[in-house]
Amino acid sequence: MIRPLLVALLQVRIYIQDKGDLAFSLLLPIAIFALMYGAFGEMQFHGTAHVVNEDQGGAYSALFIEWLEEVDNLDVELLSTSKADARLDRADLLMVLYIPQGFSDRLASGEQAQLIFKQRGNGGDEGQIVASIVGGVADQMAQEFQVRGQVSEYLAGSDISQERIDITVQRLLEDERESPAVVVKEETVGDSPDPVNEFLPGIITMFVLFAITLTARALVEERKKGTLERLLTTRLSVGQLFAGKFLVNFSRGFLQTLILLLLSYAVFQMFTPLSFVESLVVAIVFIAAVSALGLIIGSVARTEDQATWIAVFFTMAMVILGGTFFEVPESGVLNVISKVSINTYANDAFRTIIADGGSLTDVGLQMGVMAGVAVVGLVLGRVIFKVMSGGR
Amino acid sequence: MAEAFLTAQELHKSFNEHKAVDGVSFTIYKGEIFGLLGPNGAGKTTTIRMLSTVLEPDSGDVTIGGYSVRRDANAVRSLIGVCPQELALYEELSAFDNLVFFGRMVGLDGKEARAQAAARLELLGLAQRAKGRVDKFSGGMKRRVNLAVSLMGHPELLFMDEPTVGIDPQSRNNIYDTIEGLRDKGMTILYTTHYMEEADRLCDRVAIMDGGRIIAMDTPRELRSQIGPPDQVTLEDVFLRLTGRSLRD
Repeated sequence: MIRPLLVALLQVRIYIQDKGDLAFSLLLPIAIFALMYGAFGEMQFHGTAHVVNEDQGGAYSALFIEWLEEVDNLDVELLSTSKADARLDRADLLMVLYIPQGFSDRLASGEQAQLIFKQRGNGGDEGQIVASIVGGVADQMAQEFQVRGQVSEYLAGSDISQERIDITVQRLLEDERESPAVVVKEETVGDSPDPVNEFLPGIITMFVLFAITLTARALVEERKKGTLERLLTTRLSVGQLFAGKFLVNFSRGFLQTLILLLLSYAVFQMFTPLSFVESLVVAIVFIAAVSALGLIIGSVARTEDQATWIAVFFTMAMVILGGTFFEVPESGVLNVISKVSINTYANDAFRTIIADGGSLTDVGLQMGVMAGVAVVGLVLGRVIFKVMSGGR
Repeated sequence: MAEAFLTAQELHKSFNEHKAVDGVSFTIYKGEIFGLLGPNGAGKTTTIRMLSTVLEPDSGDVTIGGYSVRRDANAVRSLIGVCPQELALYEELSAFDNLVFFGRMVGLDGKEARAQAAARLELLGLAQRAKGRVDKFSGGMKRRVNLAVSLMGHPELLFMDEPTVGIDPQSRNNIYDTIEGLRDKGMTILYTTHYMEEADRLCDRVAIMDGGRIIAMDTPRELRSQIGPPDQVTLEDVFLRLTGRSLRD
C-alpha cells in the first residue's frame, strides 16, 4: 500500500525540483482565469460595420455613414470594393454593407435607393446585430426623406420658398430625434445570463483534459530513463506503479482545478458553498477518468513524442465532440457521436450544477460514466501495458 | 559439488519473426561470477530481461533460488538485484535519495533503506557526494550509483549488464574491486560485458552467445585452451574465433 504513495511522492519531488515546471503548472490556471476575466468580465456588445461606399462624393451616403458612426458601441470600417470582396471570399468578414453608386442621386430625385448586404451564410451573430442596427438607421433616413417629400408636395404652389421649407423640416426632424414621440423604456427584471456560467464548464474540462499529456508522458519518461524496467525487477507490482502514477497526476490535476474554481468563486461569485463543493466532486471524478485515460496512452506509446501526439489528438477530439467550442445539437448524428466523449458527461455535469442550479443527484448518469471510465481505464491500461511490454 | 542457484532451461523469446533467444540453457552456481558474452544482438540483454522477470519467455523456464520466474516472480524479485546497461536513475535527485527510493521498492523500511544507502555509497566511494544531484555526476560516478542501487536489499543474485561501459580506469577498478568483494561475501553474479579481459579477470565461468544461442560455455582458462596454450591466447581470441570477425548491427 505504501509503494504507490512512495512512487507518487518521488514524482512530486522530481516535479518540484524543476522550479520552472512548478511555476508554470500553478500559474497556468491563474493565467486561464485572467483570460476568462478579460473575455467575460465586462462583456457587452461592440461591433463593427464594414462599409463599401461606392457612392463617392454623394452627400447622402456620407450622411448615412456619419449617422452610423454616431451609434453607440458600433465602429465603422470603410473598405474598397476589391478589399471587401477579397475578405468575404476568404471568410475574414461574414457581412459587408455596400452603398451603391448613385445612392445619393436616387434619394435626391425621390426614387427608391438601395443598400446591399453581402454576407457569408447568415452573416454570423455579430453581423446580424450590425445588420439590424444598419436597418434602423436606414429606416430613419427613409422616414425623413418621406416627411420632406410629403411636406414639399403639400406646400407646393404656396408662397413659402423651398429653402425655408427645407430648413423648417430639418429643424423639426432634429427636434423629433432629440425628443421622439415614442420611446422604448428598458426595465431590468434580473441579472443578464452570465457567460462565465455558460463557458466555465467547458474551460474546466478542456483544462483538465490537457493534463492527459502529462500523465501519458509520465510512464514513457520512466521507460526512457530505464527506471521503469528497474522498477519492474523490484517488488513493486505494475498495479502499484499505475496507482502511484495515477495518484500523482490526479493530485496535480486536482490542485490546478481547485485554483481555477477558487478564483472563479472569488471573482465571479458564481457558486454557492454547496455548488462549489459539488463542482469539486465532479472535478475529482473527471480528473480520475482523465488520469486513467492518460495511463492507457502512456502504455501504448513508445516515445515521448508518440505520447504527446496521441494525447493531443485525443484531447482535441474529446474537446470538439464534448461541446466545448460549440453547442452539440440535442438530436442527430453529432449528438450520438458526442456520447463517446468523456467531456460531454463532464460538461453536462458542470453545467447542470454551475449554470442550471442543479445538484449531484441530477448528474448521477454523468458521474457514473466518468467513474466507470476511471476504473475501466486503469484496468485496460494495466492490460495494454502487459501486452505491449511483452512481460509483467 | 556447488549448489545451483539459477537454472535456465530451453529459454525461447521471439520479437515478431526474429528469434532473439533460441533455446538457451545454463546453470549458475551459488557464489560464482558467471559471464554472459556475445556480440551485439546476440541475445544477452533479452536473456537477462527474462531472468530478471521483466520479460516473459515464450517457452522454457528459469528457477532462481528454487523459485520459477513464471510462477513465483515475486519471490524471485526478492532474491535479485539488477544493474542495467543504461543508467536507470532519477538524475534530478541525489544519489542517496535514489538509493533510498529503490531500497523502499525492494521492501526495506525507511530506516533500513537509509542505513543501507549510506553503506552502499561508502562501499563505492561516493559517501562524500551522497547528497549531490546525480545529473551533476561524472559518467563513472553515475555508473557507481547505478551499481549501488542494484545492491539495495542484499540481493543473493546480481545481474550486471555491461556495468563498466564508458568509464575511466579508476571507476572501472573500483567496480571490479566491489564485484570481487561481493563474490567473497557469497553473492552470485551474472555479468555481461564486451571487454574480454574484464570477463577473464572476473568470471569463474563464461558462456558465449551468438544468434540467440549459447555456442560455448566453460571457465575462461578452459576456453582459451581450446584454441592454444591458455597462457598465450586471450579470451578475445576465443571470442573472435567462435563468433567471427564480421561486423554486427
